[in-house]
Amino acid sequence: MFALADCNNFFVSCERVFRPELNGRPVIVLSNNDGCAVSRSNEAKALGIKMGAPLFQIRELVEKHGVAVFSSNFALYGDMSRRVQEVLRRYSPAVEQYSIDEAFLDLRGIQIPDPDALAKEISSECRRRTAIPVSVGIAPTKTLAKIASKLCKQYPKLRGGCYMHRPEDIEKVLKRFPAADVWGIGRRSARKLEAAGIRSAWDFTRLPEVAVRKRFALPGLRTWKELQGIPCIEFEDMVEPRQSICVSRSFAKEITDPTVLSEQVANFAEGAVEKLRAQHSLAFEMAVFALTNRFKEGVPQTIGSSLRSFPDGTAEHRAIVSAAVAGARELFRPGYGYKKAGVVITRLGQENGHTPSLFANPESEQREASLSQTIDHINGSFGRGAILFGVQGDGRIRMSREHQSPHYTTLWSDIPTASVK
Amino acid sequence: MEPQKIEAGAPIESVIMGSVKAGFPSPAEDVREKLDLSRLLVRHRDSTFFFRIDGVSMVDADMDEGDIIIVDRAVAPYDGCKAVCYIDGEYTVKKVSLREGGATLLPCNVHNTRYKPIPVGPDDDFLIWGVVTYIIKKA
Repeated sequence: MFALADCNNFFVSCERVFRPELNGRPVIVLSNNDGCAVSRSNEAKALGIKMGAPLFQIRELVEKHGVAVFSSNFALYGDMSRRVQEVLRRYSPAVEQYSIDEAFLDLRGIQIPDPDALAKEISSECRRRTAIPVSVGIAPTKTLAKIASKLCKQYPKLRGGCYMHRPEDIEKVLKRFPAADVWGIGRRSARKLEAAGIRSAWDFTRLPEVAVRKRFALPGLRTWKELQGIPCIEFEDMVEPRQSICVSRSFAKEITDPTVLSEQVANFAEGAVEKLRAQHSLAFEMAVFALTNRFKEGVPQTIGSSLRSFPDGTAEHRAIVSAAVAGARELFRPGYGYKKAGVVITRLGQENGHTPSLFANPESEQREASLSQTIDHINGSFGRGAILFGVQGDGRIRMSREHQSPHYTTLWSDIPTASVK
Repeated sequence: MEPQKIEAGAPIESVIMGSVKAGFPSPAEDVREKLDLSRLLVRHRDSTFFFRIDGVSMVDADMDEGDIIIVDRAVAPYDGCKAVCYIDGEYTVKKVSLREGGATLLPCNVHNTRYKPIPVGPDDDFLIWGVVTYIIKKA
């Protein structure tokens, strides 16, 4: 048996933890740079605000209905996500964090007298301990557990938890569940299903196995079996190191100055180094890119990129940041307004199992390594950006975050206040 | 010295470096104890939050302006506990009385008669946000 715990409207729910008066009111959270709605409360959904709707298109709705608008606050969301994960770990030693707001629990081999009560208990414990509402579905397969958790959102009387296992119940649910919304059915498969007149998840399970294998290949077959209660999607509680690392942002205002652009790129590179070091990988190749605003008509457009390589592999702050700055200087062309830039580490290797080059200089390598460790240590204790390279400017990324809430749980200066009365 | 078998992947360093230094070995070498304030103050990492006390000092509550209070949502409210409550759009610290079958929020400042006891109804679960477990104050 598997459980899927899915935080309801997660970013909005995080904002509500410290602003309980927002319960029952329409709330949205915007993407990086305040572009579009990426999380919506049920009240905001009811107003017709669509996922990904650009802010400028919904301004009128926002004003008319007093929608509370927030810029994304990933320090808060990351910390609240960690808290929910820790609650979940009380129920199973194997927790697979699937995304910032979703996790699978492997319940195989655990004695559970009443799975439905367990689902409800997990949900209420998450709520009690973290104030985040969580929908918990328990079912024989991961795919069915996901569908069960969606049921909890549709039916409040399930009290946040639901166990779906009896074949007649599964049939009833799948008959009403759109095939296109099943986990693992991508956009292309969804189009194929629609063309074949297959609407519900149940219709999909009625296809003969050979037809599924032929038209939807192995992944489709896996989903087909999972919907019938046969587990075939691996449980992955070990986080695989990323194959590439990308840090990129759109800027609030277009950048025309080469120094400003390279400062921004240096900050992205520093962000990439943090991720690289966290997973103990080495960078062998990195691309720096910057582009103009393609939505703005009548202005000259360009996309520039520059490739940097590290033949011996490196995870040192200085090497990567200075290579990124060199890349930014190389690609910059005067007369263009750059709207977005980024750094992508395109080729990664593992720290161990790496043979140093014959020409490596152990002494200077050791110096670089201890410099990097010192930077990690300082930024780890005093917060990101506590120590910077000069090329990073003031260390700030030129994003608009007009509506960002305080970092309530991660910065001493931002903790909420309480009065004594 | 006997030859030693080195397991693949084991740190070789410890074999080569070992404790070969001459002097008297420190008897405290193997002691790993240390005092960690977060282990004392944060019992549950998932449910513990920090708040700063704002406003005039109130003797009865042992809390002064600028103090940091540690609030644990996992602790069930008990009679006489202090809790952060959400009332009228702000967080305030109240004393919780759990007598006569129901909970009542009492003002922490007996000198201020403006604030009356608030009974907690079954639908008011949002009222008590979390129980105060520690108060950090500057001496």
